[in-house]
Amino acid sequence: MALVGCSSPQESERGQISPDNPLRVVATTSLVADLVSQIGGAFVDVEGLMGPGVDPHLYKASEGDVSLMTRADLIFYNGMHLEGKMVDIFEQMHSRGAEVHAVTAGVEESELIASDQFTGSLDPHIWFDPVLWKRAAVMVGETLAGTDSLHAEYYRNEAARFGGELDSLFAWAAGEMASIPEGNRVLITSHDAFGYFGRAFDMEVRGLQGISTALEAGTADVSDLAEFVASSRIPAMFVESSISPRGIEAVREAVRARGFDVQIGGTLYGDALGSSGTAEASYVGMFRSNVATIVSGLSANVQ
Amino acid sequence: MTTDHAIPAEDLAIDVRDLTVAYREKPVLWDVDLQIPDGVLMAIVGPNGAGKTTFIKSVLGLNTPAAGSVLVHGKPYQKNRSQVAYVPQRGSVDWDFPTNVLDVVTMGVYGTIGWFRRPGAAPKAQAIKALAEVGMESLADRQISELSGGQQQRVFLARALVQDADIYLMDEPFQGVDATTERAIVELLRALRERGKTVVVVHHDLQTVPEYFDHVLLLNVRRIAAGPVEDVFTEENLRATYGGRVAFVSALMARKGE
Amino acid sequence: MDILTELFTDYTLRTVALGAALLGISAGALGCFALLRRQSLLGDAISHAALPGIALAFLLTGSKSSLVLILGAGAVGWFGSVLIAALTRRTPITYDTALGILLSVFFGVGLVMLTFIQRMPDANQAGLDSFLFGQAAALMQRDIYVILAIGSVILLLTVAFWKEFKLISFDPDMAETLGLPVRALEHLLTGLFVAAIVIGLQTVGVVLMSALIVAPAAAARQWTNRLGVMVLLAAVFGAVSGVSGAVSSSMAPNLPTGPVIVVVVSMIVGASLLFAPNRGFVFRKIREWKSGRALRVDAVLVDLYTLASQHASADYPHSEQVLNVMSSMSGTAKRTLHLLKTLELAQPIDDQRWSLTPAGEERARRVIEEHYGGGA
Repeated sequence: MALVGCSSPQESERGQISPDNPLRVVATTSLVADLVSQIGGAFVDVEGLMGPGVDPHLYKASEGDVSLMTRADLIFYNGMHLEGKMVDIFEQMHSRGAEVHAVTAGVEESELIASDQFTGSLDPHIWFDPVLWKRAAVMVGETLAGTDSLHAEYYRNEAARFGGELDSLFAWAAGEMASIPEGNRVLITSHDAFGYFGRAFDMEVRGLQGISTALEAGTADVSDLAEFVASSRIPAMFVESSISPRGIEAVREAVRARGFDVQIGGTLYGDALGSSGTAEASYVGMFRSNVATIVSGLSANVQ
Repeated sequence: MTTDHAIPAEDLAIDVRDLTVAYREKPVLWDVDLQIPDGVLMAIVGPNGAGKTTFIKSVLGLNTPAAGSVLVHGKPYQKNRSQVAYVPQRGSVDWDFPTNVLDVVTMGVYGTIGWFRRPGAAPKAQAIKALAEVGMESLADRQISELSGGQQQRVFLARALVQDADIYLMDEPFQGVDATTERAIVELLRALRERGKTVVVVHHDLQTVPEYFDHVLLLNVRRIAAGPVEDVFTEENLRATYGGRVAFVSALMARKGE
Repeated sequence: MDILTELFTDYTLRTVALGAALLGISAGALGCFALLRRQSLLGDAISHAALPGIALAFLLTGSKSSLVLILGAGAVGWFGSVLIAALTRRTPITYDTALGILLSVFFGVGLVMLTFIQRMPDANQAGLDSFLFGQAAALMQRDIYVILAIGSVILLLTVAFWKEFKLISFDPDMAETLGLPVRALEHLLTGLFVAAIVIGLQTVGVVLMSALIVAPAAAARQWTNRLGVMVLLAAVFGAVSGVSGAVSSSMAPNLPTGPVIVVVVSMIVGASLLFAPNRGFVFRKIREWKSGRALRVDAVLVDLYTLASQHASADYPHSEQVLNVMSSMSGTAKRTLHLLKTLELAQPIDDQRWSLTPAGEERARRVIEEHYGGGA
């Protein structure tokens, strides 16, 4: 395999990338950070802006974040307005010539889900479909390869390896999810983050708040959801790690007032990964945890 | 009435010694001595910023002197509250407050009603009686926002009368009232003196001092002079109090001679 | 009515409406005292000061229960009010300056703390920023118990100390001379204030709470001159706003409850400022216009009478031009003359000249007597 001859201008300034001199990468959400780490390995030093439990829809970048981004070699973000309050910053960085990349750029328009709340708005939570996340992995691999051509093959291999992991994950999850009885195949969460998950695994999904948590839930939203849960007799609802549980708790009370005892099946990882050091701090770990929680919550006796 | 320490404190309505009050390190009252015996009708006069209102407030314990003491019938004000009634300047409250005349006068006896109780028939009757003394009983239900200046002043006076005190401290009660009200207030002051009360009044109109009052305190941060009007209300003292506004003072003296 | 039955049958609507109503009642009632003491913006300052209290309560206890956060908000909000009083009393800083400083500094610190919490590795801190705008739709039965308890204490104490609160709001100096512990009473009143505000934080949030303190009281003031009625009315306005907000929010999806409540109460204030009898803007303008008109009528009548008095009889006619010259008022006499005709106080003799009717003469005589005295 011949070495690629030309190096990018950045490279010649930066010097050769190695584990002692890794690419400085800034990632927004913990999911994106995890993705880049998986593919970049020792050659990247990833700094994530949003910790576990942070809501990306509301996150506002600080001065510290901006200077981090200015000094970075690459910036990766989810895109599609997930980081709703950072759009201006990305544009600013881009116009200054920084390498700013949305990992969702790797996904085809046809594969995206449109939001029924905002016309022209698309659901950004693509990572819940491992197939789509694979596309993001490929995109990250290509971008890293483009920046650090020396290790291009490495990145592409890692992207493929990770893609393989995602394939097995998908197969496993599909098997698990299939065990949920027909009448219980509804996923109720704090906000509409699981649209892609629902599509991938044949579940109906309903969130209390819309696709962005910047919208406050109204009395009608709580009431309507409670009515649905009670009449459909869904055994469990789920709260999310990065959102206050009060909304779903209020729905539960309302459901109970209608005479049906719905449970809170557990905490799902919605817009963020789990605390560092836990299994849920990686994408795969987080996904497994979510599936397990959902399956156990919804596999209760069919009413 | 010079500083006469021979009179025992209990017989003095108000006994002020070395009173110094400062506001942000600037003296407003400086080393003021004054003994006011019972039964006088005394005016306090001085230019703007002379400390007249501050003086009244010191007697009432409404400020903290930097030095000196004030006794009311031999004790600090807090121990002899029931003996003193206060008529503040009309401008010191917002007359747009949602309440009526009777209510304001009844406030004068809040001190006796006690906690958690409503004013009953007795306090209300006292209030009506006080209103009658100032000629306002027919306006008992009137909103205070609808009162004229003179009527407002009378309400404040009634509020003081209802406390049935021995000593009355008034801050510029004649300021901005109509002629009828002014006459009525003067009548009231004299009636109070007849009954043996002590009345101390911050007064803004030098011309009427000899006519209305028997004693006067000339104040300009320091005590300039104090005593019976005919002894103390002289051109020399007035000039010392008001600075060199000669023409104004001379005109005043000319009037006094009439 | 459909929505009315829903108010009682739908758990969520019932709970939110009840919580919002209780909030409206306490805030409305106490807001009256704030308004009368010229401390309306104190509510705003305390609400904003409560934010770091919420953050601090979470940092210290790790809990997000309503009670814990309310206590935190209350403690720091209270501390803020004490600071304002101290600043005003001991330094040359004026009251509104102190309010402004406190509001911005505390709120800023609160935001910094929230951002700091956001970055903490522990994944349990989500949702504290819902206190900025409230999350009324998430009110639950257990929250209502807390609100009810605090609200009852507030109302009880307000009734118990009614005359004292009235006096220290009207004339605090007088209160002090009567021997009332004015400082302590002021602290108590402020304390009740803080309590009313922290109740509302979950419902309408930090940013909007001040509207509920100021607006119902300001609206109520327009309709009555009695303190008791004013407080009652403010409580009613507050409750109505709360319930309306909850109901409106339940009728359409994605309508946030807190802001709708504030919109309703703003409409109530607007209507009160414009249309209340006596104090309302519209009524005052009408009164002004009416009295201006009466003045012009009398002026022209008197002119006619005066002119006529130089001739044999009181109904001697004079032309409009002459009246214009005589009149010291701006504009012509034309319109007033026609008005006089309608009132049958004057009549046109021909197309130029006007004279007094007997009724007009009578009225002119009366006006002259009233304004110019019985003898010269």
